[in-house]
Amino acid sequence: MTVPVALEVRRLTVSYNARPVLWDVDAAFPAAALSAIVGPNGAGKSTLLRAALGLVASDSGQALIQGRPVRSALGRVAYVPQRDAVDWDFPITVREVVEMGRYRQTGWVRRVARSDRMLVEDCLERVGMRPYATRQIGALSGGQRQRVFLARALCQQAPVLVMDEPFAGVDARTEASLLGLLSELRDTEGRSVIVVHHDLATARSAFDWALVLNVRAVACGPVSEALTAATLRRAYGAVTTDAPGEQEDLWTT
Amino acid sequence: MDHLIELIPLPYTDAVVALGAAILGITAGVLGAFAVLRGRSLVGDALAHSALPGVAIAFIVTGAKDTGSLLVGAGVAGIVAALLMVGIEQTSRIRPDAAIGVVLSSFFSLGIVLLTYIADLNNASQAGLDTYLFGQAAGLLERDVALMGALSLASLVVVAVLFRPFKVTLFDPSFASSVGLRVRVLEITMTTLIVVAVIVGVRAVGAILMVALLIAPTVAARQLTGRLGRMLVLAGVIGAAVGVSGALVSMRAEVPTGPVIVLVAFGTVLLCLLLAPGRGVLWRAGKLRRDRRRARNEGVLVDLDTAVHAGPPPTERELAQLSGRPRREILRGLRDLHRTGMLERDGDRIFLSGAGAGAAHGVHERRHLWTLWLEHGAELDLPDAREPDPHDLRASLGDEHTERLFALGTWRPPSP
Amino acid sequence: MSTDVTIILTAGLVATATGLIGPFLVLRRVALVGDAVSHAVLPGIVMVYLLFQTRAPLAVVVGASLFAVVCVLSIDALKATGLVKSDAAIGLVFPLLFSLGVLGITRYASGIHLDLDSTIYGEIAFAPFRTVSIGGFEIARSIVQLACVSVFNLALITLLWKEIKATTFDPDFSRTIGIRPALLSRLLLIAVAITAVIAFESVGAILVVTMIIVPAATAYLLTDRLWVMVALTVSIGWVSALAGHTGASAIDASIAGAMGLAAACGFALVLLASPRYGLLARAVQRARRRRAIASALESAAPARPVA
Repeated sequence: MTVPVALEVRRLTVSYNARPVLWDVDAAFPAAALSAIVGPNGAGKSTLLRAALGLVASDSGQALIQGRPVRSALGRVAYVPQRDAVDWDFPITVREVVEMGRYRQTGWVRRVARSDRMLVEDCLERVGMRPYATRQIGALSGGQRQRVFLARALCQQAPVLVMDEPFAGVDARTEASLLGLLSELRDTEGRSVIVVHHDLATARSAFDWALVLNVRAVACGPVSEALTAATLRRAYGAVTTDAPGEQEDLWTT
Repeated sequence: MDHLIELIPLPYTDAVVALGAAILGITAGVLGAFAVLRGRSLVGDALAHSALPGVAIAFIVTGAKDTGSLLVGAGVAGIVAALLMVGIEQTSRIRPDAAIGVVLSSFFSLGIVLLTYIADLNNASQAGLDTYLFGQAAGLLERDVALMGALSLASLVVVAVLFRPFKVTLFDPSFASSVGLRVRVLEITMTTLIVVAVIVGVRAVGAILMVALLIAPTVAARQLTGRLGRMLVLAGVIGAAVGVSGALVSMRAEVPTGPVIVLVAFGTVLLCLLLAPGRGVLWRAGKLRRDRRRARNEGVLVDLDTAVHAGPPPTERELAQLSGRPRREILRGLRDLHRTGMLERDGDRIFLSGAGAGAAHGVHERRHLWTLWLEHGAELDLPDAREPDPHDLRASLGDEHTERLFALGTWRPPSP
Repeated sequence: MSTDVTIILTAGLVATATGLIGPFLVLRRVALVGDAVSHAVLPGIVMVYLLFQTRAPLAVVVGASLFAVVCVLSIDALKATGLVKSDAAIGLVFPLLFSLGVLGITRYASGIHLDLDSTIYGEIAFAPFRTVSIGGFEIARSIVQLACVSVFNLALITLLWKEIKATTFDPDFSRTIGIRPALLSRLLLIAVAITAVIAFESVGAILVVTMIIVPAATAYLLTDRLWVMVALTVSIGWVSALAGHTGASAIDASIAGAMGLAAACGFALVLLASPRYGLLARAVQRARRRRAIASALESAAPARPVA
């Protein structure tokens, strides 16, 4: 039996201004696992997610969520975008932001149901933001803001959670506690989490699966196989110092 | 001035108007850039409206409808409005557009109240104080054009002198203040320059239509170049061309000048937005289609090449299964490849032609080169920060470096 | 109904109709769309006049609305190319439409007095004199019209509250949950266009432009809750209407102008004295912080060993 797949892209090519950002990329992320997408700046990590969700147009290829074309399966994904697109001065409270996670289920025109509001409180509790529920979103720290957006994604109750650089500029304590929460989601609820990540050390220790990306998919597989000195060198163009073992083999001359 | 007008091969009055329109176009084009690039394109709109209380107060003070004093009134009100806009933005969380809106509506409301006050004075000559909103270039006198020219020249000199500080402030205000530039002063100067541009244009095209003239040349020029210096020059040239052609057309057709200039300006913007190489909407759409088609055809070609090497020539259905692409993509790719002579068919079976095999080899080579680049790019010691183009690494790196890359690819560290 | 009450009610209803939408325009950084529409309706009025030789209010409102909608949709389309920012798009579109109107007047309708002030740019002082009879009651036409628009706008923002909120705050996220930001943006802009045109006809352009922007900007300085911002915007609009009317009758000035000035004064006051975002409050906070630091340093100083 094959492992169920949460998100898969096939032959994905995306270009901006004639340059391919992604070039014929094949990748699959297993269900009920924590997957990291790593690669240098400009490697197309965010683009991969955005194209997979249909937020940017792709030149060719397709994306499947739990084996279905994205268009019909968007309800199965919760997406946490990079945070710079948001207007922090917007007069909105933490609770209202999290409530947005229920809008798809609520449907047009109708108000958010009472049961959904209970769920919102529950999600706030899980990320530790319950005491700040009535704060204006801009009054929070970077780490707290990220917790809010994670709560919004949790609230969507989607089997697949896709996060774009959630830990960029976030303090170590928040990163550790959010990573803990993500693995709890995987273990207790079998959710699949796919994260664009920048820190190779935590990618190795906390994640199950990794895609090493640099325009091409350099490697995709279990962390131990995907994050080797050789693959990282191909992705980053130089030896990364924190790759274990193997370095000696390559550089003892 | 006289000499300049005599040089223009037009009847005297037409020459005056054409010259005025040219001055106006250059000024609006160059100075407008400082509004558009700062995301405050509608500053001109607020200044146009704020002229009303200025004109009204000048009238109350002098009691006469003298063009000079009214313009001074409009100018002073404009500068006050500009200071208020900058002040509101910098001291509160109000965004530029709302700050402009607040100043615009406050000043115009004040202007209306003042007009009712003037009407109460029962002074017959107050009628038409608000006609400055429209303007009429046909009535331009040589004296007006001389004044416009002087103001325009002065402001262009300011731009030339302060070009570098302006550039830094526009691009990165926090860096500007870190190197000791007085950003606030510079921003106020930029806004004041726009006040001058509005004053220059008021007589000829009216305040409202100046809004478009401040914006259009910059938007058009931005489509054609990405460099600030060139853009300012280009905006000036476009502004002048738009102004003169609009003025000439309007005189032939005996219609008001301002609206015609605005129509010409908008037409120019639309053309640039649609067609400009690199940025135009249609240009990009065409490029996108070609890119997509190329990506698809290359992908299908490689899939076919792989299939042919792996076993007997496949059918369409087998190829679709093998490649994992949607069937429609395969069919379209095969159609294109067939048309360019890359394929041969034998019944259901598909082969690569000689040309096709060559092309597939080319794609493989480029992909191989890209892999080599990823692996050994850091060892290449490129002389500058050139970025590789994955599609055509050879062209973007140069032959010499490409050969080195191939050499590095075959080089293995000797085992100890 | 007395003249004064009618005028205040009319202005208050303008404040309600525009105040329900204004906050979203300010938050979406397209506050000046109202001003754009005020100029862009001219060709509509001219066209109706040229085609039907009429200046009847209904025909004029229909023609003006047509061009108001053309105006906002063109702005939206220009912005959607990603090549022009929203402010530049506004500043390109409305002068174009205004130019078409001016050309239309001078080319085909010159000699006929198609005065801007008296066609669509209505005058609030005349509102009490244009009445309709409803169930035997003589009631000002403008009140009926504006009440309808207010109810419509109220329905729009209550029904689509969460959609409008989500697309304004985080358009990217909205797309992933199946709410199309482009659609909501267009809906909102069309609502502004229609509201503005109907309000112009009753009270004149500048009061409408003012009521769209100034109360919303004022409320933005006072609160961090969206629904409070909307409620405050409407209330500030009513207060401005009342204060402006009182002021206008005291000094016998233009009513619309005085109401606009009252709103402007309200903004200035809040800018200075808002408890959270006002200049004074922030100056006090700064001073307090400075004093706290100074006293902390002082109390720490004796503890340090003296060299």
